[in-house]
Amino acid sequence: MSRRLWRNFDFVLLGTTILLIALGVAVIYSSTLGTPDLADLPYRQIIYAVLGLGIMFVVAAIDYRFLESFQKPIYLVTIALPAIVLIIGEITHGAQRWMSARGSVQPSELTKILLIIVLAKYLADHQEDVGRLRYVFLSLLYIIPPMLLIYLQPDLSTAVVLAVIWFVMVLMAGMRLLHLSVLGLAGVLATPLIWVTMKDYMRQRILTFLLPVHDPLGSAYNINQARIAIGSGGWLGRGFAHGSQSQLHFLRVRHTDFTFSVLGEELGFVGALLLIILLIILLWRITRAASMARDTFGYLIACGVAATLAFQAVANIAMNLGLLPTTGIPLPFISYGGSSLITFLIAEGLVQSIVMRYKKIEF
Amino acid sequence: MRRLDPRLRIVIFRVAILLIFLGLVVQLWYLQVVQWQKYLLQADRNRFRLVSIDAPRGIIYDRHGNILVRNKPSFTVTIVPADLPEDEAEREAVFARLSTLLDIPVSRPSQVPSGRVPVALAAPPEFSLQPGIKEMVEQGRGAPFLPVRIATNVEREIAFIIEEEHLDLPGVHVQIEPIRQYISGDLTSHIIGYVGRIPGERAEEYIKRGYDPNSDRVGLTGVELTFEDELRGRKGRKHIEVDVAGREIRTVGEPEPARPGHNLILTIDLELQRAMEGALYQGIKAAGSKAGVAIAMNPQTGEILGMVSLPGYDNNLFAEGISVGDYERLSSDPHHPLVNHAISGLYPPGSTFKIVPAAAALQEGIVTPETQFTCEGILWLPNKYFPDDPEQAQPFYCWIHKWGKHGPINLISGIAQSCDIYFYIVSGGFRDFEGLGLERLAEYAHLFGFGELTGIDLPGENAGLVPTRKWKRLTYSEIWVTGDTYNMAIGQGFLLATPLQILNATAAVANGGTLYRPQIVYQVTDAEGRVLRSFTPEVIRQIPVSQENLALVREGMKAAVEWGTAMNAHIPWVSVAGKTGTAEYFTDENNDGYPDRDRQGNLPTHAWFTAFAPAEDPEIALIVLVEGGGEGSDIAAPIAAQILQHYFPMPSTGAPPEAEATPAPEGQPAPSLPEPIGRPFRAKIVGVDEQETELSQLVGTVVDIKGQGIPGVRISIDAGGAPIFETATNPQGWFSYDMLNASASSRWNVKLIGLPEAEELHLEVEPFKRYTVQFYEVTP
Repeated sequence: MSRRLWRNFDFVLLGTTILLIALGVAVIYSSTLGTPDLADLPYRQIIYAVLGLGIMFVVAAIDYRFLESFQKPIYLVTIALPAIVLIIGEITHGAQRWMSARGSVQPSELTKILLIIVLAKYLADHQEDVGRLRYVFLSLLYIIPPMLLIYLQPDLSTAVVLAVIWFVMVLMAGMRLLHLSVLGLAGVLATPLIWVTMKDYMRQRILTFLLPVHDPLGSAYNINQARIAIGSGGWLGRGFAHGSQSQLHFLRVRHTDFTFSVLGEELGFVGALLLIILLIILLWRITRAASMARDTFGYLIACGVAATLAFQAVANIAMNLGLLPTTGIPLPFISYGGSSLITFLIAEGLVQSIVMRYKKIEF
Repeated sequence: MRRLDPRLRIVIFRVAILLIFLGLVVQLWYLQVVQWQKYLLQADRNRFRLVSIDAPRGIIYDRHGNILVRNKPSFTVTIVPADLPEDEAEREAVFARLSTLLDIPVSRPSQVPSGRVPVALAAPPEFSLQPGIKEMVEQGRGAPFLPVRIATNVEREIAFIIEEEHLDLPGVHVQIEPIRQYISGDLTSHIIGYVGRIPGERAEEYIKRGYDPNSDRVGLTGVELTFEDELRGRKGRKHIEVDVAGREIRTVGEPEPARPGHNLILTIDLELQRAMEGALYQGIKAAGSKAGVAIAMNPQTGEILGMVSLPGYDNNLFAEGISVGDYERLSSDPHHPLVNHAISGLYPPGSTFKIVPAAAALQEGIVTPETQFTCEGILWLPNKYFPDDPEQAQPFYCWIHKWGKHGPINLISGIAQSCDIYFYIVSGGFRDFEGLGLERLAEYAHLFGFGELTGIDLPGENAGLVPTRKWKRLTYSEIWVTGDTYNMAIGQGFLLATPLQILNATAAVANGGTLYRPQIVYQVTDAEGRVLRSFTPEVIRQIPVSQENLALVREGMKAAVEWGTAMNAHIPWVSVAGKTGTAEYFTDENNDGYPDRDRQGNLPTHAWFTAFAPAEDPEIALIVLVEGGGEGSDIAAPIAAQILQHYFPMPSTGAPPEAEATPAPEGQPAPSLPEPIGRPFRAKIVGVDEQETELSQLVGTVVDIKGQGIPGVRISIDAGGAPIFETATNPQGWFSYDMLNASASSRWNVKLIGLPEAEELHLEVEPFKRYTVQFYEVTP
């Protein structure tokens, strides 16, 4: 059984992932060159990758359908993780998300996967009812508690990722286009309410994005420097570890939020295009798994993973290109960060688990 | 609406992703391919900077090569706003730590300091209460990568602590900047001036001349200002690659080196300057005054040898960035220590002015040396409209009227005795005698340089005032009367002059009628010491007074020292010519709305003495002013004598003329000079007597082992360690000093110079005492 199972393992998916991680480690290495304090980050990233890949194989070996029966405990953990972070944060006075340049364990990363599983289970159970608005709203109730807790941390970007996960999954589950437009309208109406409850820095970032001349030192500074870094890269880039914007630190948060700019500057259009192609291949393989899934539960899990990955990649790259406001959304597999990397490798394990158990009858 | 098939949904999902990524690739292509050059330029602009290399400012020396001003490194703490932590709390922590280290508040809103700015100050320094660290950083937000100066002249220890903690103080940098070190400090501050930040209101002008108002310091007063263009040098330039904090990574290409500023060698003789300051300081203190001036110049060239204006200030305070408290103290001092009174102060010149009517009257043929008048102490000037009514006549006094009269008086005795009556008559006329009249008196005053700038190369000079009929009519709406000419003749009334003008006029009398432009710079050299410009005398004019007539004025001035009003300036071994002055002035220090007077109803007076020596072939011209000091003869002349004794030290080798004239008796060896080394002397106080003057007197002898007085032993007297006076024993082995001021120091020391084995004498000085001391040789 075991050997037959592994025959369907998606090696293209794995290979692409390893290529992406390798590219990421190289860029992290380059962006921490001039900073002795951060010199160990590329090696740490390698350790996280090895660890994450190990977990991925374990997850792949487990039948994803096994998770169906644990919907409730999983959901409890989904709520408990951000709640604990919030409580600890209250005790240590703010700074829940990034403790330092190195970062710390970020439980909300894991929340994404857990929520995908919970939502997939709910939508699979009610797949005949998704056409009814009532069930769309009921599914929304699942994501509101963890989203709210994460938003309060305050971590707007992860909360937005959760919303996107829900939105794509509900769509992929078969929501009606009419309901989509109703929801869209509701969203527009809710915008002022969200604006009022936002923290100052969030509003500042959005304002800076809309009016970049304002505040040269703050967020606009980073966006400008990122654009200069990418633009100066040209076709082939300025050479690995030779980007002046990166190496002379005009570019900030190089190893996390702005990794893509370092890559764009040093490896040029060709390098950035290579990254995008690798990401597209990755998404292709994951959606392939979705279409091959033997049941709706698996289909929706793969869709959720693809949605997360696609949204984070697009949001991060668009931010680097100055098309979206500055957010703390890391570029999957590239940006430095153990929590994010391991989470995505777990997600890939789930996808592998789905591909390995697809419907086609084996003889 | 029908629900879509899952496979179709995946296709749509994939297409959507492809489209979105395509959009990103288009933007990527636009930035990296289409706009590549623009962003490459921007990246280069980020990392390459054209920076200037500061040129070391020129060094300033005295005429003998003593360094007066040099540059020294100082530590400046700056903050690069862009490098500060983004987190508010961390930023606050950096500010708080820096605040503790530098003793600057974290936050202090700006406020306008109180206190007045002296009007005569050539250039006010930067004048604002230092804001807090936050406010300073806030000012720099417009250019977040440029360092904002937080503190200058930081102590070395503090600078090292900041360097050590640089990991905890992101954005904080320590830079080494050269600042001026004024080695001679107070002693020469009015001559040298100081450098400082470019005053805000004059920034435009300086930018045109190539300065950076944010970082450059410029001369603000003194020769630092007048010779700014010589001293500043030329900045170099280099292209550097910098990181985000502006730290230099490397130099790109060949730097263009800076050319150091030129050095100045002043005409000032530092030792003479020191002697002048010491003598003047003691003198004004003894006179109960607070302010005074002494200037010495070479009358043959116009070189200024020394220039002291008291009270002074330490220009190092300005070089190091003056504190508000210090600046307030200096600028609100009623005696204006920041002002160089030698060239800026306007005073009635008093009787020192009489050399002008004397020379004028001779040249115009008003008088001959034989012309004689009679001084009765009072001159009754008849009323213009009632010339026959003695009741209406106006009295004009000679200074001597309180004690008597001068009787018959001529030009030489008129100058020597400073007889006012003589000069009233000569200048304003009396009865049938026609005097010079205002026009001719004013003309000669102008010829001698009054009422116009001397053109000395120092900023802030005043032209003074030589009044005219028109001036009086416009200013006072009154016509000019003979009495005004009388007053002007004795340097009173409307006439106002600077000490330098009187000195320059004196020098012209001394040198035979050439009025030189006073100069203070002897040479300009480049950094390698090559002479670029050397002193050349500049003649303002040849005064049209004949040599014979000037010789007569000199004779009168010599007579003043020999037997006239200036006998206190007599020095046995050099002939001095001089003119005293006691100039009444109006002041209202008690603010009662009336001019202050003493108990006898006399106005306060400035004590003047102007002189040159040797009288026959003048090497030095000297002027001393003690503001509100009293009589010129009592107060100013002794100070001048002390200074001249420094310039012409008593001949220390060979027996003095008297000893030569009377050879030592047979068999008795002439008193021999002490061997330079090895002769032990002991010191003792022989007696202490009471005397009437408050300043105590010291009289002493130096005797050899046989009890014979030793001539020519050099004596040094200091007050609590501060050298005050140097003299030498006379042919009989005596020496004396009559200005022991108990309030200057209670402990005075007397030393024999060049005799290391000699004991030092310590005196506990009390006022109203006369100390007799003896240094006596003992067997080794």
